Amino acid sequence: MNVFQELLESPQNHLVEQAVSDGRIPIGYSCSFVPEAFLMADKLVPVRLHAPGVAGTEIADIYLSNFICTYARSLLEFAIDDRFDLIQGWVFVPSCAHMQRLYDNLEYLKKPAFNHILDVPRKVTEATIAWQAEELRMLADKLSTHFGVDMSDDSLMKAIREWNEFAKIIQSIGELRKKPSPPITGTEFQTLLMAALVSPKNLILPKIQEFRKEIEQRDGVGQFRSRLMVMGSHLHDPEFIRVIESQGGLVVADLFCTGSIPGFKPVEVNGNPIRILAEHTFKKTLCPRMMEDFDRRLQTIIDTVKEYKVDGIVIEIIKFCDLWGVDSMPMVSALRKEGIPVLKLEREYSMGGEGQLRTRVQAFIESMGK
Amino acid sequence: MNFDIRIETTVKDAFENAKNLVMRLPDLTKDFFKYSIIGYIIEAKSLKDSFIYAKYWALIWGNIFKFVGKLLFKRGPTGIIRELRRYPWILQLLGVTKLLRRITHGRKGIYLESTGLLIHSITVTLVEKLEEVFYQPELLLISEDLVPPEIATAMGLKVWLVEAMGILLPFLNPEAALNFIDEAENAGMNPDSCSFVKSAVGMVIKEQMPKGSALVSSNMPCDAGMTSYSYIQKKFDVPIYRVDVPYHFYNERAEKLFVEDLKGMIAFLEEHTPGRIDWTKLREICETRNRMMEIEGELWDMMQARPAPLASEAVWLSHLWHFYMFPGHKAGIQLFKRLVELAQVNLTAKIPAVENEKYRAVLWNPPFPHFVDIFNQVERAHGITLIMDSMSYNRHEPIDTSTPETMLNGLARIIMQGPMVRHTRGPAENYLDDIFRCYKQFDLDMVWIANHVGCKSGQAMNGILREKCREMKIPLLILDYDLVDPRIVSHGGMMSQVDDFMENVMKNKQPLAVAH
Repeated sequence: MNVFQELLESPQNHLVEQAVSDGRIPIGYSCSFVPEAFLMADKLVPVRLHAPGVAGTEIADIYLSNFICTYARSLLEFAIDDRFDLIQGWVFVPSCAHMQRLYDNLEYLKKPAFNHILDVPRKVTEATIAWQAEELRMLADKLSTHFGVDMSDDSLMKAIREWNEFAKIIQSIGELRKKPSPPITGTEFQTLLMAALVSPKNLILPKIQEFRKEIEQRDGVGQFRSRLMVMGSHLHDPEFIRVIESQGGLVVADLFCTGSIPGFKPVEVNGNPIRILAEHTFKKTLCPRMMEDFDRRLQTIIDTVKEYKVDGIVIEIIKFCDLWGVDSMPMVSALRKEGIPVLKLEREYSMGGEGQLRTRVQAFIESMGK
Repeated sequence: MNFDIRIETTVKDAFENAKNLVMRLPDLTKDFFKYSIIGYIIEAKSLKDSFIYAKYWALIWGNIFKFVGKLLFKRGPTGIIRELRRYPWILQLLGVTKLLRRITHGRKGIYLESTGLLIHSITVTLVEKLEEVFYQPELLLISEDLVPPEIATAMGLKVWLVEAMGILLPFLNPEAALNFIDEAENAGMNPDSCSFVKSAVGMVIKEQMPKGSALVSSNMPCDAGMTSYSYIQKKFDVPIYRVDVPYHFYNERAEKLFVEDLKGMIAFLEEHTPGRIDWTKLREICETRNRMMEIEGELWDMMQARPAPLASEAVWLSHLWHFYMFPGHKAGIQLFKRLVELAQVNLTAKIPAVENEKYRAVLWNPPFPHFVDIFNQVERAHGITLIMDSMSYNRHEPIDTSTPETMLNGLARIIMQGPMVRHTRGPAENYLDDIFRCYKQFDLDMVWIANHVGCKSGQAMNGILREKCREMKIPLLILDYDLVDPRIVSHGGMMSQVDDFMENVMKNKQPLAVAH
């Protein structure tokens, strides 16, 4: 597990450095609507943008203001500080106002040589899937022209197969969490997953396979008072999960941008790769930015609660996130109507207020009679 | 025992309330006279001004009495009580002449007339809208404010904009939306989200929002607004259609996608409401809208002159009300025609709307609903004249009405490229370039940013804007406030920001008059 922890200590870990020295091209992205497999074509390496250990966002606050979520501000701060110097291209999605304006301010303050917005629609129809496919095609052409990489159908299909390998193993580890006594904690799973998202897949895959074998030998991770699910905004720091688990709530399921539900179903390799990726992206991502997805999200959560035998849900929302902030209002009532206990927490991107978090979780677990 | 305590508490409360009322009586009486027609006549600068004011005062009350009389006739006294219990905010509308008084303070002649004319026009159209709610509920479509109502109106539906009262009520009473905001927050909505959205949601929670047969919403203009419709739809339990404006919209590909979306909306409305598309009616509406825009263009041409022949509400409120709520309505044509006539008189005679016009300003982002008279105050205090605002600054080609397809294309473009929509999507240039273009076009002296605390998209542009304005030597006032909630920044706090800006940036140390 230490291997994975180390990979999370800096925004560009040594595996990314290794990939760069091998002549590969890291592309930073911040939203799950950017298909990872797409950015694995040829020499490209997808790197999920994160800002570990961000201490303050003084400069970013001046430009983005204090009313923008701390994830966006942290990324801008790191970019200004040249902490993403190995990232050779950025791909954004207008997932929310914060991300849109992060793109604008990055363009203004530190214009990257390659900076692109993938215009992902906010509802899924035949027309918007076609639109999304066109968007991916345009991005492929741009990447190909700028970096000279092979973005042909064959190359993309190869990348999809590689991603599927990775997704299958992540999914198989995630499935273990359904067990009555899971062999992996939520903290470990989150550390593993985050490390995988910020590293070149081919370099980290052997380590994940090794870890998979290791946990197969385990009986379980010990006694916990309750089984919890965590959902909400970007959650990159496994420390958040660790604090929850320290109070006896084993996190067995997660539905957030860097979580495993429902994001790691392998892509069906059948047909035009661009079209497949367009469809797959909409299927695998559950985000309140999608206007018509509320019921699908609710149903997925309810199904997850049943499958993973979840006792209660912790909704974590980064302060100032309107998507999750507003959406949680009907979501909390809908979940409570289903008899599912819910704890809604506001937090900042970086870990802080550990004592408060501990108290809230402790009280929540007690309120469930556990 | 508990019963006795309750009685005692109630009596005590009633006594305290009565005591408070008596103690406030002198202030209330003073306020009443200040905002009444008597107050105006005492303050009026001429008999002519008194006549103008009295004329609009009488016309507005005439409309209100007509509305109440009709309701009384159709529903009877118990019916009226029932409607008032259902929509208690209607009583706020009785404060419309108080609004007239607040924004006409110190104004005279044609400027006074333009303001009276506008408030009268608002009253007439609002009464019409309320009558639709009361008498034709089966045709009611509940729509988000940035989905323009032309199509639904051409289908014979009566459109009620969910967010309309969130803007209008604070005009009439700065605190009118507070209980709606609190209600939304109590229900779990994040307090840092836009208060405009919160007030709409609060109204829905309190069941004071008219309920139609279907809902139409969109991804415009912000995340909070868009996401709130998940809740609103659940609460209303009616079918919903959501239109989706792409991020990159200045291209044919986006237009094509959006036109298909609008066709989807028409099909949805035909399925779920009694409405049927009538292309001839849509043509009439589009042509009226085109005409309205053409006349408004004439007004804009005149507004480029120094001193400006009209200002403030005559420009921004007339646009906000008639283009967003009643596009294609004959009342809009009448209003804009008359405004042009009035402006022409002032222009010919070189009479400024604002006496001692000293600075010409543009207001960017939505105006200040709960402090609607701020421009009245600053024009008297500092000679600042509001020439244009971002919600009005919207020029586009007239809608081509030759075929249904061209009409939908034209409407799609208007929606996608409309204010707020174009300012909140696409690259930063969509927001910034518009400000600088407007600044140049109207020969302005300063830019005001209405820095609504809940508008994340706008907040995150201030850093860049500040630096660009410094480079271009454009005086910039970023005025912190909350769109609908005066508890966040008080009126005094807002005026202090203006005063400080005038003193420190504009070096205007001696206000022309003490207006506040």
